[in-house]
Amino acid sequence: MNPEALVRPELDSGVPAGEVLLAFAAAIIGTDRAALDDARAALAEALGPAAVVGASAVAGNFSKNDRVANGIGIPIDDMVFKGTEDLRAQLGLNDYKSAVNTFRHLTPG
Amino acid sequence: MRFYAESDYPVGAELDGAHAAQFANFARAGAWGTADQRLAVIHEARQAGIEAGLLEASGDGGVRPTVELPGAIRDVIGTLAVNCPDFDQATYQAACEAGLSDAAFAELVAIVSFVVNLDVFARGIGVPLRPFMEPRTGAPTRTVPAEAILEKAFVPTIPNVPDGGDFAAELYGGHFKPYIMRALSIVPDEYRAHVALEQAQYNPLPKVMVFDYSHHEGLSRPQVEIGAGRVSAINDCFY
Repeated sequence: MNPEALVRPELDSGVPAGEVLLAFAAAIIGTDRAALDDARAALAEALGPAAVVGASAVAGNFSKNDRVANGIGIPIDDMVFKGTEDLRAQLGLNDYKSAVNTFRHLTPG
Repeated sequence: MRFYAESDYPVGAELDGAHAAQFANFARAGAWGTADQRLAVIHEARQAGIEAGLLEASGDGGVRPTVELPGAIRDVIGTLAVNCPDFDQATYQAACEAGLSDAAFAELVAIVSFVVNLDVFARGIGVPLRPFMEPRTGAPTRTVPAEAILEKAFVPTIPNVPDGGDFAAELYGGHFKPYIMRALSIVPDEYRAHVALEQAQYNPLPKVMVFDYSHHEGLSRPQVEIGAGRVSAINDCFY
């Protein structure tokens, strides 16, 4: 799996039907209802009707988690922070506004 | 009667039941909010989504609130519901200045996050937003666990064992819990609801680190993670 496709969806994710899943994930939390309808039909065609339910459940769940994380202001856990330096830099995650909830706890130097 | 009986896509019994249970939870008094206040909060969050074009209004939105929320609280709800990347410590402080305690704030974050989740799901499978239920009578418990302490979040949380003591051992089932799960622990019933939704919609918690396991028919685990990661990237969520 190529994680860079998460922030640059025009890239190949390396996952079967990844482009269909990326398009559905963006459409379900976007404002273009016609695009969502198209993405849903494409997902059902590519992976079957049950995949629409699963992808919707996952998108809803992470819409929840993103709000819980940003709303409560939690930092990422130490063990994850220490193992993701390269990935965070590659994906530009350190530039997210919510990164401050982690970085404000770091000791300078 | 299934909660998503009219869906063209096959919603399993576990997921159907978890969502029905959460809508019933919204209609009960919480630790800090009355059922009427909780209805006003989730109604405000849904309306913000509709006005932003992220949701489509349905013919039957269910019961409408009778409680009027202060403007400052409505602003906090709106930011969390439709502008998640910009929710920051200043937004939290605005909620405090509007009169919310840390625990009441955490309950608000919980129920706004939950209703966004459920509305996103309904939109995804192409069914109308589920109607809100009639609020039930009952008083908030207004209790804060003595074990909750200020760690590294805006509000106190219950630490993992051993620091969280017997209460943490019971609440967390004897397992280490990452911050994303412990975030709502100052309101234990919302923590439990958060876990229930997580297990129905993502993975049973014991399976989270089992990378060849998928909880979703038709999707491999990498396909699940592609969807999860893309949503969080769009939401600019560092966690």
